Amino acid sequence: MQKPTASRGKLLLAFALLSTAIAASAVYAQFQAGSYSSANPGGIAQVELANTSTDSTYGIGSYPLYRANLAPGDGLQDVQVYCSICHSTGYITMQPPLPADTWNAELTKMEKTFGAPIPDDASQRILHYLQSHYTTETRKP
Amino acid sequence: MKNEHSQAVDQFSRRKFLRGGLLGTASVLGLAATISEASQDIGKSSGELHHAPEFTGPGASPYWNAVGPIVSEPQKAPLILLTDRPIQLETPRHYFLQPFTPNEAFYVRWHLETLPNAVNLQEWRLTVNGNVDKPLTLSFPDLLTRFKPVSIAAVNQCSGNSRSQVQPRVPGGQWGNGAMGNALWSGVKLRDILDAANVKPGSLQVQFEGLDRGKGPLGLGSERFMKSLDLKDPILDESILAYSMNNDPLPMLNGFPLRLIVPGRFATYWVKALTSIRVLDRPDDNFWMKTAYRIPDTPGGSTTPGEFKTGKVQTVPISRIPVRSFLIAPDGSSKIPAGLPIELRGIAFSGYGGIKRVEVSHDGGSSWQEARLGENLGRYSFRTWSLNWTPKEPDKYRISVRATDEKGNTQPDTPVWNPGGYMWNTIEHQEIVVGRAS
Repeated sequence: MQKPTASRGKLLLAFALLSTAIAASAVYAQFQAGSYSSANPGGIAQVELANTSTDSTYGIGSYPLYRANLAPGDGLQDVQVYCSICHSTGYITMQPPLPADTWNAELTKMEKTFGAPIPDDASQRILHYLQSHYTTETRKP
Repeated sequence: MKNEHSQAVDQFSRRKFLRGGLLGTASVLGLAATISEASQDIGKSSGELHHAPEFTGPGASPYWNAVGPIVSEPQKAPLILLTDRPIQLETPRHYFLQPFTPNEAFYVRWHLETLPNAVNLQEWRLTVNGNVDKPLTLSFPDLLTRFKPVSIAAVNQCSGNSRSQVQPRVPGGQWGNGAMGNALWSGVKLRDILDAANVKPGSLQVQFEGLDRGKGPLGLGSERFMKSLDLKDPILDESILAYSMNNDPLPMLNGFPLRLIVPGRFATYWVKALTSIRVLDRPDDNFWMKTAYRIPDTPGGSTTPGEFKTGKVQTVPISRIPVRSFLIAPDGSSKIPAGLPIELRGIAFSGYGGIKRVEVSHDGGSSWQEARLGENLGRYSFRTWSLNWTPKEPDKYRISVRATDEKGNTQPDTPVWNPGGYMWNTIEHQEIVVGRAS
């Protein structure tokens, strides 16, 4: 298999940026937001008094992240890098099988309406990946 | 006797079982086959559990709830996961046997991923500005002490509740029926706050924004979530800013410390973690008003894919919750012995006011019988209903339920379709199997 090194470098950079984005939650004067940490489904969280201070801060810790069960295939890495900037990839696996042109419209919405910074070559690979695994014809149970 | 359907179910669960990931060796497979056959004998007479698939479609989802793993989130009972970032969780069916949905079971839907984990009330403020004479900056104690407290029971329903029912399927959060909940909301009147700020003449809308932000470019819909209501909309007099939900603080995931309550309207307007109110002298043209959450300007918000493609369908912002009703128990997962008296139980609600009537059909809609209504907890609340039923003969019964509100609106028996998958309120049906008692 060929490995285009230039785009791989870009991917690695995007990975680095993304992991920073997820790890470092935003801290504002009045609140803290966007903190997630990985978890496995199925466990029941037990109630703990994490903060017994009577100060004015009301916090609940990080939100759990679960690994989406994405189909293996070309373009998977681009999906994990670029789609994950704004949302988890569970947004993809949750969908019913959709027509190929609906995936095109979704990707266009993410780029044009929501401003997702996806390079053209990655965008093409993402569309190909979605259409190869998540249409009525291609989705596997 | 084994009918075709139950045979199909047996074969399905057997295949699922044999495919299970734990079964690695031939000897284990042999044992599994024995267990599988034994469980089939038992499975024939009761609702056998099988794991729902990871997704549904391209047909309508056959399930009442969304499919997805059960997960634990902070301050929450185990709920059905739609997405983990931003967070969307659905409430399981059985919680709707009670008129008030417990806070820990109340569904969750955020649009942007940088949502609050902690709020410092010493720093937190609600600001009221824009086209007003007296801009306000209110602390949490200000809200508790400077304004008269009020309470209202009101249903919060996601615009896309039941989206997994629409045909053809549309992209979006694939909700079952559990993206709804009813709570007793307590707080201050929105009108009292607006009056304190003294809205200037010529103002058109009032815009609400919470603490949540997204990772998209500044100002786009992927960075900020804002919703607006018309200042001339009479619902402003019934809306409240709630600091309490079912007499407890709001869970962080449901909008701590303050949430806008817009009774009878879809949840998209119920801005969570509310921190900013702006009075506008122009219509709000941000993405979440101008582009998203719009429905065809047609009766019931319905159109067809073909009509919509012509580009001639006018749209308006989604607004009121149309009348709906649900059978909650029995849920069809178990057979009922003939001759056993049981109680059909469920809920009904409408954004147009109180529920006047709930009717139940045992024959798929040919004849209807009026159900008893539970306590009236307010015109925007869930109204529970019940009906005694003693099925005489073994058979498959199609139970249907439909509600009529005080304005005379009733549920359609025809499907709803629009590209957003909004406004579904078609009459619900539940198959109940009654078996022989001897």
